[in-house]
Amino acid sequence: MPRRRILNPLTELLAAVLLVVLVLVVNRWEFSLAVLLLVVVPAVLTSGRARQIGLAVLLIAGPLLLSSLLLHGLFFPEGRTVLLDLGPARVTREGLAFAAVMGLRMSVFTGVLLTAAMTLDVPELLATMTHRQWNRKLVFVVGSAVGLIPHVALRSRQITRAQQARGLVVGRGPLSRVRALLTVTTPLVIGLLVDASERNRMLGARGFSSPGPRTSYLPDTDTPRQRAVRRAMAVGVGLFSVLWLGSGVLA
Amino acid sequence: MSSSLTLPADRTTERPRRLLLVLGGALIVATYLFLVTVQPTEIAGGMGSAASLVSLFGFLGGGALLVGGILPMLTTSSLVIMPLGIALNIAIGQVAGSLGLQIYLDAIGTVLVAVLAGPAAGAATGALSNAVWGLFNPFALPFAAGAALIGLLAGLAAQHGAFRRVYLAPVAGLVVGAIGGLVAAPVAVFMFGAAGTFGTNAIIAVFRSMGDKLLVAATKQGLLSDSLDKIVVFVVVALIVYALPQRAVRQFPFARTHRVLGARSGQRARMTAGAGSAG
Repeated sequence: MPRRRILNPLTELLAAVLLVVLVLVVNRWEFSLAVLLLVVVPAVLTSGRARQIGLAVLLIAGPLLLSSLLLHGLFFPEGRTVLLDLGPARVTREGLAFAAVMGLRMSVFTGVLLTAAMTLDVPELLATMTHRQWNRKLVFVVGSAVGLIPHVALRSRQITRAQQARGLVVGRGPLSRVRALLTVTTPLVIGLLVDASERNRMLGARGFSSPGPRTSYLPDTDTPRQRAVRRAMAVGVGLFSVLWLGSGVLA
Repeated sequence: MSSSLTLPADRTTERPRRLLLVLGGALIVATYLFLVTVQPTEIAGGMGSAASLVSLFGFLGGGALLVGGILPMLTTSSLVIMPLGIALNIAIGQVAGSLGLQIYLDAIGTVLVAVLAGPAAGAATGALSNAVWGLFNPFALPFAAGAALIGLLAGLAAQHGAFRRVYLAPVAGLVVGAIGGLVAAPVAVFMFGAAGTFGTNAIIAVFRSMGDKLLVAATKQGLLSDSLDKIVVFVVVALIVYALPQRAVRQFPFARTHRVLGARSGQRARMTAGAGSAG
């Protein structure tokens, strides 16, 4: 069951982005770990979609973390303290530390942004953007793209099945694979372009290119207080970053 | 063609848009130069948080400024295929995975939009594509400026005839891929310590075991795999646009005026233009 929404999607997205910025600014493994345990994990658990988000984080960050550990753990020429010598590959303390810092940073990055994105109500976000009078072309492109992705994925699956029924067999060679890709993408693109030209005419008839404000059919869930909070958060993180980095440079 | 006949086109805001474009381009170039010339020593020992911040804000901010400058000047026909390109980028990446291809192929939509609707639309598609993709895979987000650059260069290549002959497309792909790899490498290094797939990291590991710095190793890997990827992408897009019906190509003013597909979009299209405009 999706969780009851308290904040506007824009506020949530901005909070997630600012948290990532803070982790990058502070750049200490202790802080990254604290954010991971105290913010990301509770946010995932209370999101109402804990299993899906956990799985997505694992699928996206897992391979990256593992390959990062292998890369820096085994090959880190700058490392001084050699723990294990394996010929060309050397396990060094510095390499493992580097992999740990980067791994924590990547986990926070994926966890925060995926939690914000996967609990996001896209229509509400687009409605807020319209109410705040963002560029309507941007709102159209983003909204239309998000809506098109499942449609494109479904159609490409159908075309793949149709071509397989006509005898498409994907061989092991790269040429055979590119040919298979072409037999799927060419009809896909032609169909989508025909749809797009129809949409082009319809949008033209409805005055898409005319200037002026737009009306959203969804209610505005944004409040003046949240707008103030958003500004305060951005300014606060900005000031903190300047102070923190400035003190680091002076030290 | 699809513009309104009753309302005057507003030309009053032309200047700030140019300013946004110049600022965005300058920010991206400055970020790249800063990362490459000033910071490379820092990554070896304690890595700089400043470098990762600069790479995030420089490239994302530059991409956002570019999109802000480009969007108002696009026609409806270009705008309508941009979501299509974005969705294709993401969906074909998945199809490529299910077919067992080893390269990313995440720029087919960007290059397709660039070929049909021009460099500006291509650049905006690239940047927005990674922004939207960031909702499903946050690791795509910081590479938005690189994707915008690929769209821009692909459009310029198309404008100068790289898609008029099928053997020119891989050459353009090689050049664009090499430039794209150069720009993407510092982002990968300073944001994520060059973590990628097992395949790309194996290449980095080879260069690292020869004693290269991480940025150098990642740049060499980017040059290798991005060039290969873009060669395939450009050839695939060329073959797709050659297979498109002329009616589909002719609706794009860019493809018509610059004769992007050579004889396929130019002479014959012009001969049938009178008959075609009725339908």
